[in-house]
Amino acid sequence: MLRTLIAAPCFALAALGFAAGAQAQTIKIAILGPMAFVQGEHHWNGAEMARDEINKAGGVNAGGKRMRVELVRADTNEIQSVPDATNAVERVITRDKVDFLIGGFRSEAVLAMQEVAMDYKKLFLGVGAAHSKLGLNVEQNYERYKYWFRVSPTKDVDLARTLFAVLGSIGQQIRNDLKTDTPKVAILAEKAVWTEGLVAAAQKNLPALKMEVVGLWQPSAVATDVTAELSAIDRAGAHIVFTMLSGPVGISVGRQMGERNMKAVAWGINVEGQKEEFWSAAAGKAQFVSTLDTYAEVEYTPKTIAFVKAYQARFKKAPTYTAATYDAIMMLKDAIEQEGTTNADKIVAHIEKAEHVGTGAVATFDKRHDLVWAVGKTSGIAVQWQDGKKVPFWPPNVKGMQPFKMPAR
Amino acid sequence: MYWFRRGWAELRNEIFVLPSRTLVLIWVVALLALPFVYGDPYVMRILTMTCIFAVFAASWDLLAGYTGQVNFGHALFFGAGAYTSALLSLKLGLSPWLTVFAGAAVALLFGFLVGYLCLRLRGSYLSLATLAFPLIALGLLFAFPDFSGGELGVSGLRRLVLTPTANYYIAAISMLFIVFGLWLLADSKFGIVLHAIRDDEVAARASGINTPRYKMTVFAIAGAAAGFAGALFAHYLRVAGPSALEVALSFQVVIWGIFGGVATIYGPVAAVFILYPLTEWLGSIPGVGELRLLIFAVIVLLVLLFMPRGLTPWVRDKIETQCPRCKQRNGVWRKVCRLCGAALQAQVAGTQRLVGHQ
Amino acid sequence: MLQDILVTGLVNGGVYALLAIGFSLIFGVARIVNIAHTAFYMLAAYCFYTLLTKTGLGFLLSGLISVGAVTLFSVICYRLVIEPVREHEAAVLIATIALALVFQELMLYAFGGHFLGIPSTLEGSVRFLGVSIPYQRLLILVVAGASLALVWFVLYRTRLGLAIRATANDLEVANLMGMNVHRVAMATVAISVALAAVAGVVVAPVFVVDPFMWLAPLVTMLAIVVLGGLGSMKGSLIGALIIGYVEAITVFAVPAGAYLKGAVALLIMVIVLLARPEGLFGVAFEEER
Repeated sequence: MLRTLIAAPCFALAALGFAAGAQAQTIKIAILGPMAFVQGEHHWNGAEMARDEINKAGGVNAGGKRMRVELVRADTNEIQSVPDATNAVERVITRDKVDFLIGGFRSEAVLAMQEVAMDYKKLFLGVGAAHSKLGLNVEQNYERYKYWFRVSPTKDVDLARTLFAVLGSIGQQIRNDLKTDTPKVAILAEKAVWTEGLVAAAQKNLPALKMEVVGLWQPSAVATDVTAELSAIDRAGAHIVFTMLSGPVGISVGRQMGERNMKAVAWGINVEGQKEEFWSAAAGKAQFVSTLDTYAEVEYTPKTIAFVKAYQARFKKAPTYTAATYDAIMMLKDAIEQEGTTNADKIVAHIEKAEHVGTGAVATFDKRHDLVWAVGKTSGIAVQWQDGKKVPFWPPNVKGMQPFKMPAR
Repeated sequence: MYWFRRGWAELRNEIFVLPSRTLVLIWVVALLALPFVYGDPYVMRILTMTCIFAVFAASWDLLAGYTGQVNFGHALFFGAGAYTSALLSLKLGLSPWLTVFAGAAVALLFGFLVGYLCLRLRGSYLSLATLAFPLIALGLLFAFPDFSGGELGVSGLRRLVLTPTANYYIAAISMLFIVFGLWLLADSKFGIVLHAIRDDEVAARASGINTPRYKMTVFAIAGAAAGFAGALFAHYLRVAGPSALEVALSFQVVIWGIFGGVATIYGPVAAVFILYPLTEWLGSIPGVGELRLLIFAVIVLLVLLFMPRGLTPWVRDKIETQCPRCKQRNGVWRKVCRLCGAALQAQVAGTQRLVGHQ
Repeated sequence: MLQDILVTGLVNGGVYALLAIGFSLIFGVARIVNIAHTAFYMLAAYCFYTLLTKTGLGFLLSGLISVGAVTLFSVICYRLVIEPVREHEAAVLIATIALALVFQELMLYAFGGHFLGIPSTLEGSVRFLGVSIPYQRLLILVVAGASLALVWFVLYRTRLGLAIRATANDLEVANLMGMNVHRVAMATVAISVALAAVAGVVVAPVFVVDPFMWLAPLVTMLAIVVLGGLGSMKGSLIGALIIGYVEAITVFAVPAGAYLKGAVALLIMVIVLLARPEGLFGVAFEEER
């Protein structure tokens, strides 16, 4: 009798334990990013939205087992220190025992982080670093690097294709408005490895697009004063300033162009210009600055508008491209559910073949595990700052786009 | 058998008599035995980086502490070693075992160059001039991005060995060799000359010492050690980028050096072993992580207030005293000197011990 | 292009002069290499930003309060952190580095890592010699000139200035002559940081404000004071103009090499040091025995 009295609760507890254990099965995902900075903030926000949505709907169904998604927030501090980032990756893999890694931002750091992740054969979905070398590694040594996929953005050379597509349409608008045959373009590219290819491509393609290159100026990425460059560009009579800027120099360009009332319009890559804080950082002067971007309230994919609205409501700011951690997690969920397992090799095989309709892109991957570029699918959108707001204007056939404006002459 | 007894005699008579030497022995044993006791790859990664930075810091101390040439651009040698080893192993396909030494050799040459350029500079002028060199090197690297990889650096390097444990041992053993080597150098006649140069270069010259030669040699040796550390760093991370040359790294080594105690060699090593894992551990705590640099800086400030000469001199003074007659160190609990028998505590009550260690 | 270079060089030189002279002053008098000098400049910029955007105070009042607050704060920092370790030169050095890091991290924590823009005090621009100069930059030039004149006046026409110059010349003798060396050092710190704070307030609207904005001017400023000679006001002024012009020439003459302007400035400094190890107007300090 006594034995039953003791045994029964023990069995019950054990059964509960089993059930709880079965229910408490989690998929641990590490979100890696510079958490003290904007990029890391958006990494984390996008991931949180995905996690909450998945868990509210009951979790991920991995081969009959319901698993919850658990996020591990890992501050890589990559902007200030590359070894800190690799330490963080090793820590989340060996200490926190995560199953998947998502994130990364600074290409130099992500190259090192990729090495650590591949050592442990963990799936690493990149959201933020555009350098082609990351994909090249996959092609050159598939067996080792196959666990890497770049979910966002497209690799740097593909960004060029979008840039030229939009440049063509802006050029056409200039031809119509200003009645000039060959719009003049000044290339303002920060001195960096990632702009080298773009600059060379621009110098080759612009004449083919019937536009004249009036000069090339290369400030430092952290330059705070571009008066010299802008004076010279003014004197050269440029209509378009073709920007390739990723650092704070983008803010200085926007602000000083406005202060000088320049007649030229800025288009290109201006990473600072993608952030919501750009307008106030440029003291309200960056009217008509336009840049490549990922998220806006337009129907780029069927899911974009809902995502952007929900993000804005929850975090009180618009998402930037690093919020595509949302897409990365959803992609993982689909892969796990359709393969019925969390095994990395099977998921790799699945992602390679599948098409994922995300919020920022309709993603398919090539043999370098980079996004396949296509207008309206993975090209991103173009936005222009007008009166303190980012107004999307390209691709023109997507619902929600508005017209591109030029400074009054 | 003879060697055992001899070894045991040495241990008893030379090492265990002094607490500081005993501590060093314990540290060496702990370092070498760690993978057997606690094989966590994360911990080994942290300690591998610590060992690499310890070499870097010790090399700075030789330069700054012993000859008084406070180098604000020590990252130049680190980066030179890293990039040389990276480029040679990647472009020419040489084995990392060779290129690491090539990296050290190139850093040695840089050391000679910087030493030569700085011969006529004194004090703060020298410090601030050395600040310029890594930045000029960075400018050059950015100017030739095809060669150097620009802001991304050189990536895809091969590791020296594959497993975390093997990497750890490589870092730890080379660190022990280099640090002890530097310490022996500093503790020898060479070191005395360096002290003389720091204290009064004019007097040293008047005594017939060829000070420019010594100064340049020290620059070269410090450069070589730092370059070796840089090369190990590059092959461990598999990436050699501009982060190996940045101002923050130069400042970091200055902080480690002075925090640990200049002119000791073991001081900066202790500082690295305490501060680097500490900041890493702080970084892993969720709420605190983003404040780690702030906490680090505050700790440095507080320690400076209480131990202005650095951590290790303060600790040493607490556990050891110096004999007033023969100037040798003894454990602080001793009443008479272990070597000459002189009384260690003052006989008259109320008097202060006026002899301190320099 | 020549006009561009002339004007830009002058404006940049003016800004650098404000920073360099303060730094030189502290070094000459207190023999402190104050790595945190530009960090105070950053603090003033953030203070100005906060006052402008969060309170309704105008530019002038915000600016004055920022300068005053940062100066006061610097004196407190000096008393708490630097003075206790004054005898140990090495400790002072890393104390200032650690202080700068503390400021950086505090700003990072309080304001985040993104870049902030301060509205310009003066809008609009004027055309001079065919070059369009924004009024804000003219303001910088005017304020720089006025501050330098004020400092010259204090140093050469007041008793405090006399004390400062005497202490800079020979600390021990000044002490023996009855000057309160500690007070003089504190006054010097105050004047020096006030100059940096003024620089922060006028310059911040032209540049972007972020927690790391103190690193780049630090390097250029160090190059200038070394070039001009540590401890020499005249040297710092001339050094600032030289470096200002060198940077302007680099950017205008070689547009594709604009990113090199920092490295070129440093190279010039190294070359000058090779020729004159004490800088252009530097005073070789007697080794104190």
